[in-house]
This record gives sequence, structure tokens and C-alpha cells, in this order.
Amino acid sequence: MKLAPLFGIEAAAFLLIIAETYLFFNFVIPIGSIPHSLTGYTGLALLKLGSIVALVAAWFVVMIGLTRLYVREKLRSAPRPSS
Amino acid sequence: MPSGLADDGLLLLSFFVPFLLLLLGLPPYLKLLTRLGHVSDDAHKTPPTKVPEPAGPMIFLGALVGEFVVAVGFHSWVPVAIMLGAGVAFIIGLYDDLYVLGGKAKPLLLVLAGIAFVGLVLFKSNLYQPVLTFPLLGDTSPHFTIYTILAIAAFPVVANAFNMMDAFNGEISWFSLLTSLALFLGLVLRELCTSGFSLARLASALPLIAVAAGFLVFNRYPARAFDGDSGSLTFGAMFAGLAITGGVEIAAMIAIVPAILNSFYTLSSVRGFVERRRMASRPTYMGSDGLLYPSTDPRAPNTLVRLVLLAGALDERDLVKSIVYLTLAACVFSAAISVLTWVA
Repeated sequence: MKLAPLFGIEAAAFLLIIAETYLFFNFVIPIGSIPHSLTGYTGLALLKLGSIVALVAAWFVVMIGLTRLYVREKLRSAPRPSS
Repeated sequence: MPSGLADDGLLLLSFFVPFLLLLLGLPPYLKLLTRLGHVSDDAHKTPPTKVPEPAGPMIFLGALVGEFVVAVGFHSWVPVAIMLGAGVAFIIGLYDDLYVLGGKAKPLLLVLAGIAFVGLVLFKSNLYQPVLTFPLLGDTSPHFTIYTILAIAAFPVVANAFNMMDAFNGEISWFSLLTSLALFLGLVLRELCTSGFSLARLASALPLIAVAAGFLVFNRYPARAFDGDSGSLTFGAMFAGLAITGGVEIAAMIAIVPAILNSFYTLSSVRGFVERRRMASRPTYMGSDGLLYPSTDPRAPNTLVRLVLLAGALDERDLVKSIVYLTLAACVFSAAISVLTWVA
């Protein structure tokens, strides 16, 4: 039971990865049609890369938040050697 | 292509050859390491004991022989690609074992493992498909550029994540064994439920399982061998290569979530790649009672081990048990993903 919060963080990481990959491949990848100019192609590629970065950043922010919450809670009663 | 009994025989060989090679080859190799003075302190024992290191060369040799059996038996280039990536990672790890690389140099150099792996596609284009298969959603359309960039990036990310799970007796061997079994399950379900999936891609996973299981015999508490970076980076690079060639990337990524979280926690709390010997504060310390405690220093990196110990001090054996439970949970999630992807 002591590990329950960590299992929860792990499950949150798992669910976020699934949700974000779903968003990525269903909404980010299909953006726009295939442009016929180099500028259009580059712009589209950058837009998609930016979207990947945003999704990864969102995962990081949530995980950092959950971890900090856990550490703050646990540090108050952190175990210390008796001697 | 052999079939039926011949296939079964090859599958057995690709497991038992590397497994037995490690079981029989490691004891004399460890004696040689000890004689040559290649021993490290097992810091979590009182008093610290000396353990031979690195066992990575034997792990790599075992995996290499196993993949050779698969390559010759199934006439496949897939094991060649896997061992090309793993070979580069192994050399980087061995250099780090002998001379110590900087915190930033190792992940940067590991990009070469991804490039070597992807480079073989120039000669053998069917090594992997540039698509991801999602549970319930099916295949994406092919995206060669994006997929190739992700494949190259996967090697430093995964190899480093495995490397950072290598701090306690049995931790890396249990982790490699459990996650490679989860990956193997995904490959088995893909083999059973889809047509045209090559058996060689399934067989290529067996040497990794074999060397992880063989090494566990020597690495479990109390450890008689440490793998060194050469071993952990080999495990990680093989895992990345297998996930890509087998097309089971999502299940593989889910299985190693504890390692991804561990490296992410460490990197975010120390703000970058810092070699562990140069960290301002250690994440854990050993009390006079022989138990491991979490550091209360705010500068201490938030490793997975520190997070586990924040819930209560543990001895090394129970700590590794907790890490194994967390890995098992991730492997159950991974198995669920494999079932939803290939069976549902």
C-alpha cells in the first residue's frame, strides 16, 4: 500500500502517453494537405514538430506537478535513522 | 525459410545458446576480472564488498551469438540491425566503464547507435515499417521522416533510461528481464494475430530475454557481478531495436515507464545531464542500521529510488522488490496494450 501513490503516478503517465499519442496521430498528423511548395512543406513540418513538442511538454508539466506534490507530502514525514 | 519443427528448434536455440553461454561463461570471466583488479565497491553493503565489473562484454557476447543464430537460421537482417545499434551502445558503455564519459557525452554519443541502426535501412529497406500501430485505432499512415527521427532518438533515450535503472543488486537484470518478456508478449500476439509477420522478428527478442535471465543469476542480491554501463546500454539499445523492428513501440514504451519516469525525474531535478559522480547531493543514503533512506536535501535528484524510499526506509533487497513491483505493473499495462492492439 505504501507504493500506491507511485502506482498512481505510473498509471497517470501511461494514460497520458496513450491519450497524447491518440491526439498526435488523429489530429496533428492529418493537419493540412500535401503542399506543393518547399516553403509550404517546411511550414507544415514545423507546425507538426511544434505540436509534438507541445504534447511532450504537456506530459512533462503534468508529471512534474504530480511528483512535486508527492515529494512535498512525503518529505514532511520522511524516514530518518533513529540514531 | 525453415518451418514447423525447424522453427521451434531455432527458437529454442536462440534462447538456450546465449543463456547457457552466460551461465557457463560468466564464472571464469568474473574470476579473470577479479584477478585483473576490475572490481567495484558494492556501496550498499556494510562493510562494502568488492564485486567484479563490467560483465557487459559477456552480456554482449551472449546476445551477439544468440542474434547470430537467428540471423543465420532465419536468413534475416533484423538481428544484424539490432546488434549494430547494440554494438555501438556497448562500445560507448565499455569506454565509460574504463575511462568515464561526461554526463552530456554519453547520451550524445548514443545517437550514433540510432544512426547505425537506421543506416542499415539504406541497404535493407524492410527492416522496419515507418508506422505506429495503436490499440483499437490500427496503423497510422507511413511517415518515414518523422519515424526515422524518432527511431534514432529512441536509442539514446531508452539506453540511458536502462542505464539509470542500474544502481542496486538485481535492479537492471530484473528490469531487463520483465520488460523484455512484456515486449516478447507483444511480438507473440502480433505473430499470432497478423499475417505476414516474420518469425525472425519474434526470435530476435529471445537472446535479450536469455542474457537478462542468465545475468540475473549473478546480479541478484547479493550480487556476484555488476554489468557496468557496457551491459546496461546493451540491454537498452537491444530493447529499442527490438521494439522498432517488431513494430511494438507503444507496448514497449509503456513497459519501461518506470525507467522513463526515473530518468525524467533525475534530469528535471538536476536540470540536465549530470554525471552521477558530480551530483551536488546524493538522492539516498545508508543509515547505520543498514537501511536506505531518502535524502531530505532539496538539491537531491528525485530518482525513482528516492521516491520509493520517501514512503519508508528499506533494505536493498526490499527496495529492489518495490522497483520490481512497479515494473510488473508497467508490464501489465503493456500487456493490456498488446492485447488491445493485436487481439481486439
